[in-house]
This record gives sequence, C-alpha cells and structure tokens, in this order.
Amino acid sequence: MSKPLVLEKVVKQFGDKTAVNEISLQVEEGEIYGLLGANGAGKTTTMRMVLGLIYPDGGRILYNGKPYGSELQHLMGYLPEERGLYPKVKVSDQIIYLARLRGMSASEADKSLKYWLERFEVPEYYDKKIEELSKGNQQKMGFIAAVVHKPKIVIMDEAFSGLDPVNVELLKATVKELRDSGTSILFSTHRMEHVEELCRNITILHRSRTVLQGSLREIKKQYPREEVLLHTASEVSGLEGIAGVTGVERKERGYLIRISDVGAAKAILRTAMDQSEVEHFEIKEPTLNQIFIKEVGESHE
Amino acid sequence: MNKMTTVIGFTFLNKVKAKSFLITTLVLALLVTIGMNVPYFIAKFTGGDDGLASIGLARGTQPEIVQSFKAYYEKQETPGFTLAEYEQTDEAALKKDLEAGKIDGYLQFGASTAGEFPGVTYVSKKDSVPQDIQASLQAVLQSVKAEYITKGTLNEEQIAALTAPVQIEAQKQAAAGEAGTGEGKTEKAALINYVIVYVLVILFFMTIMMTGNMIAAEVTAEKSSRIMEILITSVSPLAQMFGKIIGMFLIGLFQIFIFAAVIAINVALPHNQPILSELNLDLSQISVEVLVFGFILYILGYFLYATLFAAIGSLVSRTEELGQAIMPITMLSLAAFYIGIFSLSAPDSTLLKVSTYIPFFSPVSMIVRIGLGDTPMWEILASLAVLLAAIFLFGWLSAKIYRTGVLLYGKRPTLKELQKAMRAYKI
Repeated sequence: MSKPLVLEKVVKQFGDKTAVNEISLQVEEGEIYGLLGANGAGKTTTMRMVLGLIYPDGGRILYNGKPYGSELQHLMGYLPEERGLYPKVKVSDQIIYLARLRGMSASEADKSLKYWLERFEVPEYYDKKIEELSKGNQQKMGFIAAVVHKPKIVIMDEAFSGLDPVNVELLKATVKELRDSGTSILFSTHRMEHVEELCRNITILHRSRTVLQGSLREIKKQYPREEVLLHTASEVSGLEGIAGVTGVERKERGYLIRISDVGAAKAILRTAMDQSEVEHFEIKEPTLNQIFIKEVGESHE
Repeated sequence: MNKMTTVIGFTFLNKVKAKSFLITTLVLALLVTIGMNVPYFIAKFTGGDDGLASIGLARGTQPEIVQSFKAYYEKQETPGFTLAEYEQTDEAALKKDLEAGKIDGYLQFGASTAGEFPGVTYVSKKDSVPQDIQASLQAVLQSVKAEYITKGTLNEEQIAALTAPVQIEAQKQAAAGEAGTGEGKTEKAALINYVIVYVLVILFFMTIMMTGNMIAAEVTAEKSSRIMEILITSVSPLAQMFGKIIGMFLIGLFQIFIFAAVIAINVALPHNQPILSELNLDLSQISVEVLVFGFILYILGYFLYATLFAAIGSLVSRTEELGQAIMPITMLSLAAFYIGIFSLSAPDSTLLKVSTYIPFFSPVSMIVRIGLGDTPMWEILASLAVLLAAIFLFGWLSAKIYRTGVLLYGKRPTLKELQKAMRAYKI
C-alpha cells in the first residue's frame, strides 16, 4: 500500500521569490513527521500546499498514491497557526458545523465532540462561546476542530505554542494517541524538545530548501558528541589539561566539559574518580536545538 | 450542494440566533408600528372632545355676510367645525369665551369698500389657522364671496357650480402595440403602483446596504480569525461564498417578511381603515406584473451586489479597513437608488432608459420603468439578460478574487498584486 502522504520535489514560487524549493518527504501511516525551520523558511507554504490551499509550481504531492481531490477534504484535518474559530459562536455549534463540512453527520459529530471534550476534561465548554474561553482553552477547541471528524492525515502548524506545561503534556498525549490509532501527522514547530519527543523523522527547512532530513536517530549519530556532563561531590582540578578537552564550564553541581574527541571522556571520568566521588557522568548527544542552530546558523550570513 | 446547504443553515441560524438581530428587528418593527399609527393618534389627541372646532361668529359690522355664511354653513355636508352664534355686535363676549375655552376661535369681517369682499380675520390663541379649519372655512367663504359679489344675480346651483374646483381625471393611454392591458391604467392603479415601486426601490437599497455589509463583514471576520483556512480546506470556495450569500439573502427575506406582517397587521387595525381609504389606495389594484418583476429584479440585483461585497470582504484583512474598501460599491448602490427615486416622476426619461442596461443600476431603474412607465416586454427581457450576464461575469470574478483574497494577509492588495497572486496560486 502506498504511503498516506508523499511530497516529491515540490516547488512553490511567489513572483520571483522561491518560497519552497524542491522539498521531498514521506509520512507513514501512524507517524508524526516534524517539519522544522526558522520563521519564513517555508513551513506554512508547504503545509498549505499539502492542504490543497495553494498549488505547487513543480513536483507533486500524492495522498495514498493519488493526487489531490475533493474527497481529501474529508480525510484531512488542519490546525492553523492562529487558531481559527468563530469568537461569538458556541463551541458545539461551530465544531459540529466544521465536522459536517468535512462530511460527518450532525449526530456523529456531536458524539465525537463530546468524546473530545471529556478527553480534555472540559465537558462544560459545550455551550460556551469561544470568546469566553482562555487562550489555552481556545487552542484546545481548535485542536478538537481539527480532529473531530476522525481524519487520516492531520496537519498541525505550531500545535503547542502558547500552552502551559500541563496542557502541553495533555495535548502531546492526545497527539500520540492519534498516532497510535494510525493517523499520519505532519507537524511543524520551532520547539525542538517537542520534536525530539514525538517525531521519528524530520526535515529541517532553511530559506525554502531542505538542509537536513532523515530519522532523528540517524541525524544525531552524524553529529559528534561534544559535551560531557560531570557532577561530583567536591571540586575536581586539572580537567583543562586533559588532551582533547577544549573548554570547561563550571556549573551549579559540577562541570560541563567541551571535548573535540570522544576518547577524552574516559580520561575525564578517571580524573574525576581519582579526586572525588562522581554523582553523574554523561556524554551528551547533541540536542536537536544545537543541530538546528548549527545547520541554520552556518548558512546564515 | 450538500455542503452549501450546511453553510446556508449555519449562516442563517447564527444570524437569527444573535441578540443583535433580534433587537434590530424588534426595534424596527416597533418603529414601523408607531409610524403607522401616528396619524390616528394625532387625530385623536388634537380633535378635542367632539372632534370639531367651535368657531364663534358675531353679527358685527357685516350682518349680510354673516347671514349668508350661516346659510352656506348649514348647507355643508361635513362642515369641519361648529358655528357658535353671538347676537352681540362687539367682540367682548367673543374674547371672553375664547379665553374661557368655550370656542376655539372666531371670525371677523373687515369693512368692505366699493363692492369688494371684505378681509376676513380668524382670531384664535394660535398664530396660524389650522389646516383643516382653513379648508372648511374657505369652502364656505368661497360661496359667501360669490354670492356677495354677484349680489343675488345667480341662483344657488350656479354659485355651487362656480365655487366647485375643477376636477382633472388622470387616464393613461395604452401604447398602440401593447396587447392585453386594453384600457389605460386608472389613477388609483397608478397611485398604488407608485407606492409599490417606491417601497421596492427603498427595500432594495436597504437590503443591499444591510446584508451586503453583513456579508463583507463576515467574510473579513472569518479571514482575520483564520477560520477561513479551515473552511477552504473543507468546502470549495464557490460553495462557501454562495452558501453565505444565500444564507444572508434568506435572512433579508425573513426580515422583510416580518416587516410585511407588521405592516399588514397595522393596516388591518380597524382605526386605520379610514386613513387608508382617504389616501385613495386600493390594494386590489396592485399590478401583478410589477410584483413579479420586482421580485425577480430584487433577487438578481441582490446577487450581483452580494458577490461583489463578498469579494471585497475577502480582500480586507481587518474589519476596520472594511468601510473604506466597500465605499465604491456603496457609491454604486447609492447612484442606483437616486436614479430610481428621482426618476419616479419621469419614468420615461433617457437617463432611466440607458440605466436599465447598466447592470448595477438596472434592478432599480427597471422596476421604476415597469411600474410607472411604458416598457415593452422585449426591453424588460433584454435588461434581464444583461443583468444575468453580469451576474455570471461578476460571480465568476468574485469567486476568483474570493479564492485568492482569503489567503492574502497584510495590507489590502492592489489590482496588480491580486493578479500576481492569482497566477501564483494558479486560480
């Protein structure tokens, strides 16, 4: 069976400016795919093309092996960056309306909406107007609007921005639940920690082109481990003298040591054990944040 | 189609359920009711106890005229006032009664010179003679004057004939080629049709302004709240735009229906019946042709303007900019309105004939011509054809603009930018 969503060398031009330049990616069934990039990198344009809002100038987008068609309107869900809901309309009215537009019957939509309200533990919002809700709760309603019709492909633009940690966890859990039930999710963000937790594969866009793509683990392997975190009971001296150590930073409970060669880590641990009691020792893998800054920063002049 | 019904339903129910709609409709209905009952209340409160003003008349210096006045007063079928006679020659008693409120005013005749009719003075507590009393007095005084001047050389019938105003009956000659209508339109029919056309023109203008603004405002609101992006990925823009337009149209009709019901109830109230007949309006004389074409033109005109309002609304990102952006269409509808209103008295003018072929003016000007002028059927059909063609053209163009406009944020795009965007989006 063909993959739910495939982009092949998709190009989009606005006048003489290229907004998206030959982007290719594939989203499997039951996968959360991360689309990363700085502001203006082409994330939203890519998502709009996937949604059929605008048409690509080159390349093609295939959904289950077929090009875009109006039947996809029922299969896709969209959570825009700025939550789109009617401020003065009741939650139940507008979400049922949106679900019906996506091909659901009114009674099914009502049932689904009630399920999601229960899931977010806010059944009392059924009869509230959007403008009466807090911003975070409005966002939850936007999320419900995007998934209420049980879509197969969900596009989420900055799904977690502006939420408090408790709600981020709640939303993350539901996103994972959707993934486990087989939904393909294309997910854009510039919050790297969310990507590390949720996504298997990512694409980093910079200035409308792909700078990095692949599975998160593979990508991380490509980047040398350059940091050692060391927590000790008492002070350790002479760390700077070890071969391969390029810098030592004193932290609250220990040291963050920058190394140019992973081999230096052994020497660091030995030195530390000789002088004090080691509470914590870790050769840190590069965070996505660091990789991102490295990739995007390098070509950024 | 199915989705369009959903959009229509949502648009309609949301507007109808809104408090603002309920309040505006109630306030307007109340105003209509008050307006329609004002004549009755005015009559009731100004009429006094017996409804007739009491006018004093003293013999004074012109007993001859007073005598004749009294005689003609008694001959009047509906005198419009009661006469209180005084035997005294001086004004003292009259003044006293006027102060006491026993009479509303009294008549005084001046000295006559060389056969001329003396000056007449109406003394009352006000600075002017009330309209109805003046008319009643004049009717009597005309006869009195005629008798006074002719000094009895004419008999009563002759005087009555002399003083009766000349009646001009209006009758319209049917056009030579026009079959079916046979005899010309009678005065009564013309009057009721005049009223109908007048009402239709105003109704058309009001609906366009109110629903048009609502459509544009809703589209802009949907765009600025970004719900548009979700909507466009769920429904085709065409279904969405026309769903909204039809939904609003139904609201407009609903509102008109409410007002029509309010007016009908008020007209049917027994105390308003005499006023209606006094205005010489006969509802049975309403021309079916005017109503049918009025309705068709109303619908077509509405759709022409509504698509443009939707297109403009889609170009604006913020509600504050909307007023300025819809100015050109507002101007256009105002022009159509004034052409219609000013041509009511000249329904066969060249201006009106030309404007029946200009799509934005034709809904108004055509109904004026159909209702009041003499319009051959082929001209009506030609005008309708032009209007229909314009609706398809502008509907298509508006749908394109709408599809592009809803994705353009930031400042209002110029025509060039819009074209560029259309090409870029491949719309």
